[in-house]
Amino acid sequence: MILQESFEPDILGFLCNWCSYAGADLAGVSRFQYPPNLRIIRVMCSARVDPTIVLEAFIRGLDGVMVLGCHPGDCHYMTGNYYTERRIKTTKKVLKSVELSPERLLVDWVSASEGERFATLVTDFIGRVRKLGPLGNEIDLEPQQLKTRLTAAKEAFAQQRIRWLVGRERELVEDKNVFGDKVSQEEFDQLMLQTVEKEFAKRRILLSMGGDSFSVREIAQTVGASPKEVLRNIVSLERDGLVSVVGIEGNSPKYRKTGGR
Amino acid sequence: MSEVRVGVFVCHCGTNIGGFLDVPGLAKYALSLPHVVFSQDNLYTCSEAGLTEIKNAIAKKKLNRVVVASCTPRTHEPLFRSTCKEAGLNPYLFQFVNIRDQCSWVHMQDRERATEKAKALIRMGVARAVLLRPLEETEVEVNPCALVIGGGIAGMTSALSLANLDFEVKLVEKENRLGGTLNSLYKLYPTHEEASKLVQSKTEEIEKNSKIEVLTSSEVKEVKGFIGNYDVTVRQGEKERLFKVGVIIVATGAETLKPAGMYGYDGETVITQMELERMLKEGKFDADTVVMIQCVGARNEKRVYCSKVCCPTALKNAMLIKEANPDAQVFVLYRDMVTHGTKYEDYYGKARETGITFIKYSPERQPVVENGSVRVYDELLDEELSLPYDLVVLSTPMVAHNDSADLAQKLKVPVDEYGFFLEAHVKLRPVDFATDGIYMCGCAHWPANVGESVSQAYGAASRASIPLSVGHVKTEPLIAVVDEDECSGCGLCELTCPFKAIRIEETEKGRKAKVIAASCKGCGACGAGCPEKAITMQHFTDKQLLAQVIPLAEVIS
Amino acid sequence: MDEKSKAVLVIGGGIAGIQAALDLGDMGIKVHLVEKKPSIGGRMAQLDKTFPTNDCSICILAPKLADCFRHPNITLHTLSEIKEVTGQIGDFSVKLRKYARFVDEEKCVNCGDCTAKCPVKVPDEFDMELRKREAIYPYYLQGVPAVMTIDRENCLYLTRGVCRICEKICTREAIDFEQKDTDVMLNVGAIIVATGFVPFDPSGIAQYGYKRYRNVIISLEYERLICASGPTGGHLLRRSDNKPAEKIAFVQCVGSRDFKNNRYCSSVCCMHATKEAMLAYEHNPKVKSYIFYIDLRAAGKGFQEYVARGEQKYNISYIRGRAAKITEDHDENPIVWYEETLSSKTKKTTVDLAVLATSLMPRRNVKELAKVLGVELDEYNFFKTDPLNPLDTTRPGIFVCGCCREPTDIPESVAQASGAAERAAETVMR
Repeated sequence: MILQESFEPDILGFLCNWCSYAGADLAGVSRFQYPPNLRIIRVMCSARVDPTIVLEAFIRGLDGVMVLGCHPGDCHYMTGNYYTERRIKTTKKVLKSVELSPERLLVDWVSASEGERFATLVTDFIGRVRKLGPLGNEIDLEPQQLKTRLTAAKEAFAQQRIRWLVGRERELVEDKNVFGDKVSQEEFDQLMLQTVEKEFAKRRILLSMGGDSFSVREIAQTVGASPKEVLRNIVSLERDGLVSVVGIEGNSPKYRKTGGR
Repeated sequence: MSEVRVGVFVCHCGTNIGGFLDVPGLAKYALSLPHVVFSQDNLYTCSEAGLTEIKNAIAKKKLNRVVVASCTPRTHEPLFRSTCKEAGLNPYLFQFVNIRDQCSWVHMQDRERATEKAKALIRMGVARAVLLRPLEETEVEVNPCALVIGGGIAGMTSALSLANLDFEVKLVEKENRLGGTLNSLYKLYPTHEEASKLVQSKTEEIEKNSKIEVLTSSEVKEVKGFIGNYDVTVRQGEKERLFKVGVIIVATGAETLKPAGMYGYDGETVITQMELERMLKEGKFDADTVVMIQCVGARNEKRVYCSKVCCPTALKNAMLIKEANPDAQVFVLYRDMVTHGTKYEDYYGKARETGITFIKYSPERQPVVENGSVRVYDELLDEELSLPYDLVVLSTPMVAHNDSADLAQKLKVPVDEYGFFLEAHVKLRPVDFATDGIYMCGCAHWPANVGESVSQAYGAASRASIPLSVGHVKTEPLIAVVDEDECSGCGLCELTCPFKAIRIEETEKGRKAKVIAASCKGCGACGAGCPEKAITMQHFTDKQLLAQVIPLAEVIS
Repeated sequence: MDEKSKAVLVIGGGIAGIQAALDLGDMGIKVHLVEKKPSIGGRMAQLDKTFPTNDCSICILAPKLADCFRHPNITLHTLSEIKEVTGQIGDFSVKLRKYARFVDEEKCVNCGDCTAKCPVKVPDEFDMELRKREAIYPYYLQGVPAVMTIDRENCLYLTRGVCRICEKICTREAIDFEQKDTDVMLNVGAIIVATGFVPFDPSGIAQYGYKRYRNVIISLEYERLICASGPTGGHLLRRSDNKPAEKIAFVQCVGSRDFKNNRYCSSVCCMHATKEAMLAYEHNPKVKSYIFYIDLRAAGKGFQEYVARGEQKYNISYIRGRAAKITEDHDENPIVWYEETLSSKTKKTTVDLAVLATSLMPRRNVKELAKVLGVELDEYNFFKTDPLNPLDTTRPGIFVCGCCREPTDIPESVAQASGAAERAAETVMR
């Protein structure tokens, strides 16, 4: 895709009432100028930002998303920004799976007294997204295909598995489980990455299936994955109760969506 | 759902917005949006006239949603919410759009694009407003008891004030007696009254007052709860006591910086003002030549602030030295003489009359304390001087206690970069914390002299007495709500919430999450993480947030 | 709150009086807030921005004005003065004179039809006489109550029996020339004095040329010029030729720290001069400012950082040296003559505009008010207080806060106002 010369990125920011939103206000009060590419949505805490909302923003065509909270240790709600960091960093992983640049999603911290820093942060982010180009510039996909991928990502983040894992990270990594085991950060990160990739792949498969029944080979062709991977994921989806076998064509079973969540 | 009728009010804010955006154009644009039946531009929407316009429009146009596009909700949302309430509209059917602090003021050079952005923001605000639902506040009782942390002059004053207003007060003091910093001071400027006399009179007043319970050698161990209902655990030696209070006042004061490694500080010939006061108080002062150096450890890169009290303190001690020994030579090396107001400027005059020598030095050429003499470049004489001394006294700034950050964490309140407690608003709420029900006064807030600490103490008591007097507090209904049919009882929310405001309980439908409305702060951490998406955050639902996710392309087209 | 507790009288509707009234009202105590001018708001309403946050003054004040107006426990008496006080702490009888506005406050909606047709033009007090207003006028745009007032000293009908155009034009029949000044008796338990300050008039300091040179102005005049809702829409234009001022001298301690005028320090001028210089630069990055000071007093929270920012980012030079005199050249550019104390050289600099930071002084009628209240004033005519018990006047039951006590900044005034409210509450609750 060719980068238009006058491309102006369209960016949404989710800012928390107590710190970053106040910092943005202070930028205004102090008249620190920045480009008008950013529109701010106010939340009480950055932890309110469900990754599915961020992914929906990309589905609707936003070129960049910022989630800004209080500095670690300063969250008005004590630990909110910890969850924000975990959630948004995990969302960046799925952007990678979608093959979009994770640089389009920023999570950072701005305090109520950092008006100048806010203006600089925003200006820099707008600059980086401008260089990346419009959403999808970095891959060769039809807009509808990109949308489908992002939808799969969003649906993956709406499922229990990723949400459960993200929410329990602190407990798993910092405290011990009932058996006295602890998971190291590296192990956890690896587990998280695998889970994100797998859940994304599964949702892609589901989305590609429409109302009909499909064989593994057919699905593999549509989503551009190997039949072996697709088979593994189909089996997982079957266990989840989301697909079932409805017939056989030659040697291949035909699967159909069952209409779960 | 009956018809949604939105009214949009776009503010010029004088020329703050009107000078940079096409405000009438924005009002016109607003009228074109779905569900908007009325729009208007106002010079100052928050003025009495503007508020009246809103109320009139609500009545005449039967509005059931109001959107104001002006400055920032952080200062003005309560005002417009009240206005809606007065007009009979549920205050949570009001939506604020920030087109000043986050638009006109930051895009001052690009009227067209700024106006475009404002259009988009208004569209986002209207879309959200349409989805807002009426919410009802709830009331909680306020415990008619106050906790004052710190028994210095500020703490004692506010404790007495609240007791005089007929409220129970628990006064907690870390040391084994009341008085705080005053116990280390000799005389107080500008009257030269003895600090100990003031401490004595206040302590006597407190002892006579049956409403105040004093806990010395005590510390606050834990604080739970919220305004009107704080559960505070105070540790006194081995014992722990639990108090239920309605409000808390932080009056923990500050300490003076020990100038370790500065100017050859040794605590004997090079000492601090505090150490000098002790010498004077105990009658152990006997130097003939004293050199005082101001701004030691202050007004530098690491500690930018001026500690305000050090100049008058130096003057005071210099004058007391001259009183004790009229032949003594006293030099005060200063950068700026900070003696404000009607009382302290005169004080400076008096000090000059006693023969104290004032030498102005610049931060670029700091004085050097050598063996027996101080070398200083006098800026006004344009000369380097060598001042012999028996005693060097360093004026150091007040700094926050080491444990102020710890207390801040217990109370869940912020401190600034220097460790002083951070108020809700620098100008208009100087003794309030942003957290309801907690207040501050005295040096815990910022270096202050006795008069200022006393004023602030009365001020904090005044603020604290409001919820105490009213007897109840309304809680905002911006909380989490659990759909028990969707809830699987997994407990992740309970794990996530730092306020213990959502807990798993046994119900007939099995284990379910239950919200404690009075404790819930509405942050959304639980809601955004619930694996079953069973939690709705009132006033910040997914739908309401998603309604604001509108690409600019849609607005322009 | 006990129904029996008496009301409190607050004299002065600036930020201090307003804060005291709101605190008392919120505690459940009834308050009579008396203001001499046609609207409450005081000095803060005249400022553009306030230090150290540089936030818009009227923006943070307006919600408080509205709160006062709507508060169920606060009765607002504007255009009113205290004439007599008898009794003692817990039981004061106060005679309040309510001056006729000649406009019905219930009917007037501030539409401005009358102002548009009034033939009289006199200097506007709120805008520091930098523009003219009519005889029927709003005291200032965001004022509360939001109604017009007729200036009885300049109204043609009230002085000469002719005109009455406003009455004919008004569609709401809000003009009422039959209104009379009335005296009302109030019974209160405590009184809070919050009457604020007036700026020192430096015309007596002949060598500064104030009133002789058009481009030598005082800080409050500057504030109105730089204010977005002021007479020039926020553009810093010289009175002599309407050209923008790009080189500005701020002369500190005019009338303060001065044996011939006021010996005391007015506390806030170092900070407000810095602010004023910053605002000029924000409006026009070509502006260069010089602040001529003796001792730089920036001791409040965030103040020192503010001054440092001014120096580094807003093109402000701080010059230690009292301005000896100001003259002007043939283009009416002020020339500031000063001794630069750090080099002991006498210098002069030509600027476009000179702004005199004048002393904050007690109101001109303060002696009268003190007599009526039965309280003592200090040697500077500020209300006398004990430095260690700073909110009590010399008469029990009467408290004081804000600049009428001593020149002070807004955060201090607000804290003192809450403090005075508390002292008053203690009195009426016994």
